[in-house]
Amino acid sequence: MEATVANLVLGFSTVFTPTNMLYSLMGCLIGTMVGVLPGVGPLAGISMLLPTTFGMDATSAIILLAGIYYGAMYGGSTTSILMRIPGEAASVMTCIDGYAMARKGRAGPALAIAAIGSYVAGTLSIVGLMFLAPPLARFALSFGPPEYVCLLVCGLVVLSYMTGGSIVKNLSMICLGLMAGMIGIDQMSGYFRFSYGVTALGDGIGVVPVAVGLFGISEILATAGSPDIREVLKPRFRDLLPSKQEFKDSIGPIGRGTVLGFLIGIIPGSAHIISTFVSYALERRISKHPERFGQGAIEGVAGPESANNAASEGALVPLLALGVPTGPVPAVLLAALMVHGITPGPLFIKEQPEVFWGLIASMYVGNFMLLLLNLPLVGIFINLLRVPYRILYPTILLFCVVGVYAVNSSMVDVGIMTVMGVLGYLLRKMDFEIAPLVLGVILAPIIEFSFRQALAMSGGEYAIFVERPISAAFLALALFMILLGLKPLLFKSKDWRERLTEAEKQV
Amino acid sequence: MTIDRVSGAFLVLVGLFVVWERRVLPLGSASRPGPGYFPLLLAVLLIVLGVILIARGKNAKKLRSVSWTEAPHAVAILGCCVFVSLLMETIGYRLTLLLILGFLFGVMERIKPWLTLVLSFGFSLGTFWLFDSMLRVPLPRGWWNF
Repeated sequence: MEATVANLVLGFSTVFTPTNMLYSLMGCLIGTMVGVLPGVGPLAGISMLLPTTFGMDATSAIILLAGIYYGAMYGGSTTSILMRIPGEAASVMTCIDGYAMARKGRAGPALAIAAIGSYVAGTLSIVGLMFLAPPLARFALSFGPPEYVCLLVCGLVVLSYMTGGSIVKNLSMICLGLMAGMIGIDQMSGYFRFSYGVTALGDGIGVVPVAVGLFGISEILATAGSPDIREVLKPRFRDLLPSKQEFKDSIGPIGRGTVLGFLIGIIPGSAHIISTFVSYALERRISKHPERFGQGAIEGVAGPESANNAASEGALVPLLALGVPTGPVPAVLLAALMVHGITPGPLFIKEQPEVFWGLIASMYVGNFMLLLLNLPLVGIFINLLRVPYRILYPTILLFCVVGVYAVNSSMVDVGIMTVMGVLGYLLRKMDFEIAPLVLGVILAPIIEFSFRQALAMSGGEYAIFVERPISAAFLALALFMILLGLKPLLFKSKDWRERLTEAEKQV
Repeated sequence: MTIDRVSGAFLVLVGLFVVWERRVLPLGSASRPGPGYFPLLLAVLLIVLGVILIARGKNAKKLRSVSWTEAPHAVAILGCCVFVSLLMETIGYRLTLLLILGFLFGVMERIKPWLTLVLSFGFSLGTFWLFDSMLRVPLPRGWWNF
């Protein structure tokens, strides 16, 4: 405990410099903006802003980029409540009751509760992250190559189950991603693989062009040309403060949303989206008046909004402690850290405490800034929504090009982004999920390296993966998830993942 | 033909392509896996998953029911991306972006000419100034150093 307090003091002393405070503020503001704008998520925001951090020291850069990440969760609720369009995928459930409240003239309290819930959940989750990440990192120090292979395989299988849709399709996306991750120089033998003489592919195809292509460009390709239907409800700021009853009704959902969100956030998959669904379902189930849900129940805003913020910070636990990203946004954060010479993993917290604890402290400060700024500035953010999409998308395209080019000053990266954009567009049309593909690309080098090391250790015996208790436990969990995922193929009943997909489509 | 069967066939083809291309990479042995070992394993797995998709894809969504209404826009945007990939280093960032923004705003979106000019010049020159001049992120200047 004393060590934690001393580390936290170190973190706050890192953050409380004018420069880092400014970066934290900028990150939060940009994050809110990308959260507000439909079609621009935290992933595109981080990728676009990554080049601007090249001149900064690592701590300032990660403070700025993490600010975009959690700031987007605050911004996403604004469009959901005022327009019934989720600005960020994690705000889908907020559309239902948030928009219903806005139609009844209660947009102000809905926005206020969303901000307060996000703040409480964000702050409490940092406490969880602070206490959970260091011991987890210490535990992971005992992992050898077999444990790492099984952990990553388990993570990818859990991701493919939790992402929703067909598990066979998701597993095939993981395979495709892992194969794409093989492109480049083999770290163990020095062979050029699948590079066809392109020297720039020696380092592989890169996380940023892959993620921006698959998410940013494919989104533009799929949505450009669609008509702008944007009716923005204006909040009445006179009654911004929620009533006493609304406050009382929100306390429970915020608390439950926080715990649920944080725990689900640690699990690989679209945790921040799933957590909102689970939180909404839980609140409706335990409510004495479930019929109010869908008609403007404040619990339907408080729970999911708290859950998505808690989940976004829960996802940082495996990222920082194990170096394992659980979704595409943490994956791009990982890439950003690596650009700055930081490799998250078991040794990161021990060897670079000022970066880890600086990040933790910046998140306390950032969440507080977001609470203070979000409500007064909501009018300005709404103005962003008045920019027609036909003006917006060429601008997003421009920032995607700059963001991708600037990482390595390479036109090959821009080409990869284009190819990935087309691939992502076609995969969407064929009902494939893109997140498993991105994670596959990112984790490919470490999985292959550990896999070959493990086989070398055992003299070619595959039994090494089941003989060691930790790796056997991970494999058992992965097998269990595959069996769960195959259940819909054998039984006709809909499982929760299909219901989640249906709910998203309805909104 | 259903989308699952088409995509399954695509995955099988990708798997077979990797199996074929892998032949130049040493496979090694189980105790000392070579650079071709893991790609081969993945390719086999991908072929198996592709076959499952084909086998179970009878009742999936029909390929004809997929909507392609945004395709003309998508092709134009894609053309812009290819144009950027091929020419940005030759003719420079500012000119490339000026051309593609002018095309997207003016031709594809039919935005008023004066607004198209303002937006295209503003964004291409403004972002160059921000990234290259202010943030010292080098962007291509092309043959004529513009």
